Amino acid sequence: MQLEKFTYDNKIVRDFGLATLIWGIIGMTVGLLAAMQLFKPSMNLGNQYTTFGRIRPLHTNAVIFAFVGNAIFMGVYYSLQRLLKARMFSDVLSKIHFWGWQLIIVSAVITLPLGFTTSHEYAELEWPIDIAITLIWVVFGINMFGTIFKRREQHLYVAIWFYIATFVTIAVLHIVNSFELPISFLKSYYVYAGVQDALVQWWYGHNAVAFFLTTPYLGMMYYFLPKMANRPVYSYKLSILHFWSLIFIYIWAGPHHLLYTSLPGWAQSLGVAFSIMLIAPSWGGMINGLLTLRGAWDKVREDVTLKFMVVSLTAYGMATFEGPLLSLKQINGVAHFTDWIVAHVHVGALGWNGFLTFGVMYWLIPRLYKTELYSKKMASFHFWIGTLGIIFYAVPMYWAGFTQGLMWKEFTPEGLLKYPNFLTTTLQIIPMHVLRSIGGAFYLTGVIVMAFNLGKTMLKAKLVANEPAEAMPLVKDSVVDPADNKWHRRLERRPIKFMVFALIVILIGGMVEMMPTFTIQSNVPTIASVKPYSPLELEGRDLYIREGCVGCHSQTVRPFRSETERYGEYSKAGEFVYDHPFLWGSKRTGPDLHRIGGKYTNAWHFNHMLDPTSMSPGSIMPSYPWLIKQQLDTTSTATKIRAMQTLGVPYLSGYDLEANAELKIQADSIASDLKKNNIQVKSDREIIALIAYLQRLGTDIKANKSTIPSNQ
Amino acid sequence: MFKQIKDLAGGEYYLITSLFIFMVFFILVGIYLLKLNKNYIHQMSQMPINEPQPKEEDDNY
Repeated sequence: MQLEKFTYDNKIVRDFGLATLIWGIIGMTVGLLAAMQLFKPSMNLGNQYTTFGRIRPLHTNAVIFAFVGNAIFMGVYYSLQRLLKARMFSDVLSKIHFWGWQLIIVSAVITLPLGFTTSHEYAELEWPIDIAITLIWVVFGINMFGTIFKRREQHLYVAIWFYIATFVTIAVLHIVNSFELPISFLKSYYVYAGVQDALVQWWYGHNAVAFFLTTPYLGMMYYFLPKMANRPVYSYKLSILHFWSLIFIYIWAGPHHLLYTSLPGWAQSLGVAFSIMLIAPSWGGMINGLLTLRGAWDKVREDVTLKFMVVSLTAYGMATFEGPLLSLKQINGVAHFTDWIVAHVHVGALGWNGFLTFGVMYWLIPRLYKTELYSKKMASFHFWIGTLGIIFYAVPMYWAGFTQGLMWKEFTPEGLLKYPNFLTTTLQIIPMHVLRSIGGAFYLTGVIVMAFNLGKTMLKAKLVANEPAEAMPLVKDSVVDPADNKWHRRLERRPIKFMVFALIVILIGGMVEMMPTFTIQSNVPTIASVKPYSPLELEGRDLYIREGCVGCHSQTVRPFRSETERYGEYSKAGEFVYDHPFLWGSKRTGPDLHRIGGKYTNAWHFNHMLDPTSMSPGSIMPSYPWLIKQQLDTTSTATKIRAMQTLGVPYLSGYDLEANAELKIQADSIASDLKKNNIQVKSDREIIALIAYLQRLGTDIKANKSTIPSNQ
Repeated sequence: MFKQIKDLAGGEYYLITSLFIFMVFFILVGIYLLKLNKNYIHQMSQMPINEPQPKEEDDNY
């Protein structure tokens, strides 16, 4: 048998690398801009398109799907070809994948600041973009499996298992979390409502962390770390055990994002139990990575790529220890909705994802160009300023989280809230937010220095676009050896069966969690007094979604005395049955709004939206003057009502035709009330709809308390 | 620790069944690992560092 000569496609790897750099700088710059608005709201540059609520999802989408996404494809396209001893299946598919992904990101950059958002965290992009993501993901899958089929290596290394699990799970998560009913080209409603929508969202959100930010990176770690250290992975057996345990357990843990909400108690307990178990496979991966460096720690002193990898793995270990800790109910009760969660997320994102990406890029780019890194000193500077950046980011956020979480819960000896004004707790942590921005600026500086360093590296040599390689062809019979009775060895030589097996493993958890909540009526008790939104309130709700209010305000009161004292009656599952989508939020930069209805006058809300500091001196909420200037678009109100009817909201038949007339009556009534308070505003302005929505919030059960069932 | 698991309202079956499914799965993976061939493990773990290096003279770019 003769050696076969072929080439590796390095150009596509370089292109994804360049995209990683560019989107990384953009995404982090947007993050810094958003962070600065939390102590200086005027940093929104005075316009709606750069205000916190709209650019926060832009930041998260840019760093997760653009920066990390491109880094994943860079790592996968490099390692897959070499582990399989084959060029990518199709250069055309590689190009479609690359440009398709960049177009999706560009569409996010355009639509999110314009306010087109589904409001599901980390899945904010509207339905046409969701379809594009599905198509491009399929292209990626065909290209990956095509390469696996034409491989010259019999066995699939563990890194490839992680890539296969990533592909199949992200596909399932994206499809299930994107069931939306389109209203117009860039507007849709989720088919799920309330508690069920929350469960789907956090099943998706948690597992997006698992299968987009973790499993592909573990795959990259298992390939690049042994290459960098020039020694095999510490324990291949451990890698197998930790792979199957990780993908099995992770999928169950989503409900820990919904502790103390109106999600059924058994689902919360399931989330807690599996979250605690998750420590074992997560630390299995971290320990396997760190022990790969045993006997090579002298190299870590000198090699900046290994330094990045060590900090990355340490951050992974910290974040995956802290995650289960945060899922303990007593800790979650204090930490949830505070900056503690922001700190936790960023230890993972900046440390694990960021530093592993940087380590891989410093190792990879010079090899693609067959040259040396332009400046090792600059890379070392990047390492230290990046590390300082993480510390300056995380420590103040932890401090802010502890401070605010405890202040919310503190009572006086007389049994009254010590800090009844929410704003007092926000103002207390402003210095921490300033320090966090300094940390973010340090980290971003490091990335810019890296971009310069790698740019110079690329300029001083020529890209090895097609890297020659040779390998023995794979004899077809040897792919499946009937004499080989080791089922796993046979399984991992059959990639499609392997994928199906991984799919079954990840589906078990999701099905046990979700099916009872969707099919058993008693899990979401209905409340007779809860009625659908009026047309004006529905339009106001869509404005609330457009402005990204959910980024700073939760809409779920937990059953703690500290919360019922501050906000009112705790939230019930039956109150959200018409909420497509749910808007519970995950962060309280401002107070919870579920019981805001009727608490203040219409005039208070008007003045507060025009200038929050006029009603709450020192407030860091941005002003929303455009809501007062802009006319409410009622052209699609009837369509929205019909869509809600399709989704099961019990509007009377033919109500869509009366909707705008009823909307006008309610709007005129609010405008007339404002006029009594010397506020002249036309009844067709957006602010009127938003006030109507805010005044409705949480009032259904106030009206008829005797009908409230207990679901806690 | 067991204070974490409360308000089950009859849902303990979901929890016990889930843990049981995981235990069975974990034991099966464990048995498979115990039976793994050492040569196979060695061969697999060497894979990233045993890649053939390209020859300079073959460069065709």
